[in-house]
Amino acid sequence: MRLSTRLPALTMASLLVTTAIASAECADPIKVGVLHSLSGTMAISETTLKDTMLMLIDQQNAAGGVLGCEIEAVVVDPASDWPLFAEKARELLTVHEVDVIFGNWTSVSRKSVLPVIEELNGLLFYPVQYEGEESSKNVFYTGAAPNQQAIPATDYFLEELGVEKFALLGTDYVYPRTTNNILESYLQDKGIPAEDIFVNYTPFGHSDWATIVADVVALGEDGKQVGVISTINGDANIGFYKELAAAGISADDIPVVAFSVGEEELSGLDTSNLVGHLAAWNYFQSAESDANEEWVTAWKAFAGEERVTNDPMEAHYIGFNMWVNAVTAAETTDVDAVRTAMYGQEFPNLTGGTAVMLPNHHLAKPVLIGEITADGQFDIISQTSEVPGDAWTDFLPESAVLVSDWKDLGCGMYNTETETCVQLTSNY
Amino acid sequence: MHNSFIARNPSVLWFLAALGLFTFGVTLLSEATGIGLISTSFVKTLGKTLCLCLIAIAMDVVWGYCGILSLGHFAFFGIGGYAIGMWLMYARTETIVLSSLAGQTIPATPQEISDAIGNQIFGVVGSSEFPLIWAFSDSLVLQLAMVVLIPGLLALVFGWLAFRSRVTGVYLSILTQAMTLALSLYLFQNDSGLRGNNGLSGLQNIPGFEATPQATISIIFFLASAFALGAGYVFFAWVISGKMGSVVQGIRDNEARVRFLGYQVEGYKLFIFTITAIVSGIAGALYYPQAGIINPGEIAPIASIYLAVWVAIGGRGRLYGAVIGAAFVSLLSSWFTGGGAPDINLGFYTIQWTDWWLVLLGLSFVIVTLYFPKGIGGLFDYLVRKPS
Amino acid sequence: MGGATIRAATLPKYPEFPMRLLLSALFFMLSALASSAQDLQSLLQENAAQIAKPSRTSIGIVLDQMVATGLPQVPAFLEEWSDKNVWQDEATGLFYIATEGDDVLTLTDIDTGAQTTAPVDGFQQLKPNGGVRRVIGTALVQFQLIDPDTTRRTAALESIARRPEASQLAPLIASLDGEADPVLRTRKANLITILSARFAEDPADRIAAIEKLAQETSVETRAVLNQILATKPGVATELPEANIAVQHDPMTDPDGFYAALVAADLAQPLTTPAAIRAAMEAHIVDGRVGDVPVAQLHTDAARARAYAALAAAGTVPPLLGEPERNNALRSHVFYDAYIEDDPAITAAARRALDQVENAVALAQTVDLGLDALSLASIYFLAAIGLAITFGVMGVINMAHGEFIMMGAYTGYVIQLFIPDYTIAILVALPVAFAITFAAGVTMERLVIRHLYHRPLETLLATFGISIALQQLAKNIFGTQARPLTSPAWLDGAWIISDVIQISYIRIAIFFMALFFLALILYILKRTRLGLEVRAVTQNPGMAASMGINPDRINMLTFGLGSGIAGIAGVAIGLYAKVTSEMGADYIVQSFMTVVVGGVGNVWGTLAGASLIGGLQKGIEWFNPSNTLAAQTYMILFIILFIQFRPKGIVALKGRAAAD
Repeated sequence: MRLSTRLPALTMASLLVTTAIASAECADPIKVGVLHSLSGTMAISETTLKDTMLMLIDQQNAAGGVLGCEIEAVVVDPASDWPLFAEKARELLTVHEVDVIFGNWTSVSRKSVLPVIEELNGLLFYPVQYEGEESSKNVFYTGAAPNQQAIPATDYFLEELGVEKFALLGTDYVYPRTTNNILESYLQDKGIPAEDIFVNYTPFGHSDWATIVADVVALGEDGKQVGVISTINGDANIGFYKELAAAGISADDIPVVAFSVGEEELSGLDTSNLVGHLAAWNYFQSAESDANEEWVTAWKAFAGEERVTNDPMEAHYIGFNMWVNAVTAAETTDVDAVRTAMYGQEFPNLTGGTAVMLPNHHLAKPVLIGEITADGQFDIISQTSEVPGDAWTDFLPESAVLVSDWKDLGCGMYNTETETCVQLTSNY
Repeated sequence: MHNSFIARNPSVLWFLAALGLFTFGVTLLSEATGIGLISTSFVKTLGKTLCLCLIAIAMDVVWGYCGILSLGHFAFFGIGGYAIGMWLMYARTETIVLSSLAGQTIPATPQEISDAIGNQIFGVVGSSEFPLIWAFSDSLVLQLAMVVLIPGLLALVFGWLAFRSRVTGVYLSILTQAMTLALSLYLFQNDSGLRGNNGLSGLQNIPGFEATPQATISIIFFLASAFALGAGYVFFAWVISGKMGSVVQGIRDNEARVRFLGYQVEGYKLFIFTITAIVSGIAGALYYPQAGIINPGEIAPIASIYLAVWVAIGGRGRLYGAVIGAAFVSLLSSWFTGGGAPDINLGFYTIQWTDWWLVLLGLSFVIVTLYFPKGIGGLFDYLVRKPS
Repeated sequence: MGGATIRAATLPKYPEFPMRLLLSALFFMLSALASSAQDLQSLLQENAAQIAKPSRTSIGIVLDQMVATGLPQVPAFLEEWSDKNVWQDEATGLFYIATEGDDVLTLTDIDTGAQTTAPVDGFQQLKPNGGVRRVIGTALVQFQLIDPDTTRRTAALESIARRPEASQLAPLIASLDGEADPVLRTRKANLITILSARFAEDPADRIAAIEKLAQETSVETRAVLNQILATKPGVATELPEANIAVQHDPMTDPDGFYAALVAADLAQPLTTPAAIRAAMEAHIVDGRVGDVPVAQLHTDAARARAYAALAAAGTVPPLLGEPERNNALRSHVFYDAYIEDDPAITAAARRALDQVENAVALAQTVDLGLDALSLASIYFLAAIGLAITFGVMGVINMAHGEFIMMGAYTGYVIQLFIPDYTIAILVALPVAFAITFAAGVTMERLVIRHLYHRPLETLLATFGISIALQQLAKNIFGTQARPLTSPAWLDGAWIISDVIQISYIRIAIFFMALFFLALILYILKRTRLGLEVRAVTQNPGMAASMGINPDRINMLTFGLGSGIAGIAGVAIGLYAKVTSEMGADYIVQSFMTVVVGGVGNVWGTLAGASLIGGLQKGIEWFNPSNTLAAQTYMILFIILFIQFRPKGIVALKGRAAAD
């Protein structure tokens, strides 16, 4: 059944062999660390990203590598164990001496890795949408910040769908908590009273959704249009959408927009009853552009015909290519030089338009909203122009005064009121 | 007395000698001395393994000697980690906040300082108020006291309730498992005030030692863990070799008979349960500054089951067995899952150990239980004892 | 337009109607004249940007224009547009109704209906979003309401329910008499009441409709009543002449009401600590602020003194603190006023809503009861296999959860081979039983048999099997969740009212649980096998000497318990998810169910499952926003419960109870 995931491992082995031959003239091989869980609960999402990195490195080597050297991938398995992420990051940086790390999925794993990366002055590309409220000198955040996903989706609810009452359903961990906090504050700014915002948190893998779905339906009792913003994570979504379909809630009655449901997650579901419900991302496989067509074809050829592409994969695609360009521009893989060269790097998005690396280590990317279709894909119905990522949200009073600017201010947590740098290391 | 204790337990000396030699060797070869044959990350792994050995001997005492199969001792380990983690986090953040506030024209009020620290620690999880549970986090001494007190008190209360109602055997195992499940679910909530799923992070940065390289810090913690393991080993060896040990082992073998002999069975069990909980707490307090992060997933029921697995594989009812089991299985685990083991190519199928290691572990566990109930430690019997 | 006049003639009850129709007819004609075009395409071209990128707020005008043309092709176009079947030629900007084939579009001209084909490249599909589709639905109502096609009429009624508008009342009433379908007729009458309650001209009609609504509990009813009772908060120095709903005591939430006062420009904001701090920073003179040395400003008291000094000197505005706030609050009234001016109507709506809410509260309790029952049956189903292996045989099987998982994956694999979901499920249930039965028997033969005298070690050995099986499942099926889809007849829910409803799949699980309860009771109490099982459990030695083969009995009992776990797996997979870790989610829960209920007794397991399910729903009800807390408290309760009743709810007495 999983032949497809064996393939990349084989290609990796052959790749290492070719590297050994080609790098003979290259005194110091260029090493890229891949820090994604290949076992444990997060393997479901992260294995795909490991494969993506191997494919990208493969492609780059075929195109001549970087600085005349072949790139060597160093893959380690932190096994969805958060302390192990820190240990493996240290191993990558000190034992394997990699030049850059692409990795992590969950926020807690990123927080675990942060102190190590900062202590050893490493470089990490983090590809997943996250809650923001963080800025590290050593991390480039290629996924969406809340203002690149949650806020535009909420705007879409408010303006396009006319939603007046919100149910914020999330899994109980930091991303939903912070995102919902930001949204609560944002919605109140927009004139939605606090009693029209229903918040609920459930554990990971929750399966008993009947009561919660009934609660959501009951929200409609004062005649206001109800909408659900879901930050429900992973396989808990399956039970949730099944219950939603069973209760006969159509997207026309109560639309649901999800921030953590992509093409991969839908493959575990029969989506015929969910047509019309929404998801917000920076990328969908159904995006219509030549670059995307090429990318999807290459991915299917590499990993298997039934595999799908998703948003974090595009983030790695952009991040890796920008890193290659920055290394070429800096003519070295030295972390500080590459970081300086990264600012202002531009690379075309797979969805059209151009991603730009900002001095706050975030990308400017377009925001897409898609409706679920019966074949488990998304039909893109709204696409904004590029939105610059914001490390510190403007909608929480403590964070509104903070900015991150590593290029000119040299500080990731700069208080614009007192005009001081709060701290140079990140908060973890 | 002392002489007779050593005489009755020759293994203690052997163990201390081996531990000392190992510690000396690792320290010498580490990056801290400049030789650097053993990388800092591996020193941390070894240091953590020593802490796991410490909780494993605690587990061995409570299960192998007293017959209580506790599936909840990792809860105490986690509490110890959280207690020390709160101070580490608070003190580190306080340093950062004070230095950033120092540049301001108006000196900050205590309230402003506390708000700023709170915002730093809890801003990540969308809050800035200090929960009550952090009341003593500014004091290292008090938090160190909590490393011992909270696991001790929890074990005392829980044990008192359970043993009083004569909950025994399998029921007790399930009850202890429920305890650790409840604790981990509680900590998973953001409302618990301990940062929910994120837990406490950045624990490897010791406040006041910002300038010290991790190579040195890792060796300090490694030595501290080794010392704690040695001390714990001697302590438990002493406990179980005296009269107390005899009663406790009697309870394991036939609780009713010991009770009819007039012993306060509940008292003995409670004592053993509580001191092992305290030692587990200490082990946790040493473990997590080396791991760098503690979160509720660490005390999920599965962790405590693994603990029982280590002890069973190492060999119950002998302290060195627990040490061997914990060290052997956890190091082997990290070797296999870390991609250290070479893949086996069968031609038609490649066995990748990252995928198959757990299958191997599970099955080997069944085999040990079925055919080698004495575990790895049992091998020593064949070596030491002459055929009679 | 001819149709409209006929409709008007059938409506003598509403004298204002023909007048209104006349006006709108006039408007239609005028606008028809204004747009010189007599085909839809040219009208669309005039508004091409609006059509290509429509917005909920502005599309209404264009839709009105289209409807006003009276062209027969408009309804069809609107339907196709809403279904995302309209494409725009990027070169000419023309719109077509189109169906997509392999890179080829079959284009239908909007006005003539002529068909052509063209390559997909060069055409842009129009994708109106949900908000726009709802507006289109409303525009379609007038066409669909009297359409011969039932699905169209249903769609029209759905649109009305979603966006009730005053103008829909009259056509709806007009369409009632001609309605042949009894279901739609009831629905229409129901919607008429709802619309009348809000939009009827005569207050008496409205009150009559409101009183009728008091009998229902649907979300729509409550929505209407709540909308009639909508209020607007206000603040003034004296209570104004208005339909006042409630007057507030500001001291219940002083800061909140003061904020309202500030928002209404009736007060200045309070001086915040940040403002005080800013004032300090702005007025440092020679290292002092108002005579207080800067170095001393690290307490609130010192800052207050400094601020008072600054305020006395007039450099900063006077401090606004709690006393000032309270004074301001006392000199104002805070109230909520109904938006509806007629007190008779709001009073009637209030009465009706109170009545409805009582009924809803009752219905919610019933619904919660159903949910609890459903959860209990899921727990029971997950635990009943364990009740046999653990409860009757005393074997701790930590791999029980993995048997559940095996059952679920069996269901998944069978669905891969049998496309018909109904047959697949019917095949999956016995196959899942067979596979897990075999697995259970194998495990009993190879492992558990050797450990009957060491129960704690069974726990460890089966745990080893559990992690091995879990990882094996990951290696075979991957870590992704796999779909296990229920047959269509199990889709949907049994809807008693908007409040009380339960999905069919949960009902099916409930009956499955009942069936297995009966089956196991029957096997244990009424069959030879059951007799032998009970004999072996109580005294294996004695049973053996009576000619019973304990080995065989143990094997069969264990197989039975495991097989039921497999069937439970299919059921659980249908309503939740199929992953390699699903078993682990249920194992601790299941053990607790058995222990709380009382070991050695199937009724005990039932009691345990009911208690745990009921309790969990009860705690959730108290704290609906945090399911995790509910689970935590439930486990704490179980721990305490076992302390005080160590043998569980249904404790065995006598010799069977001996450990």
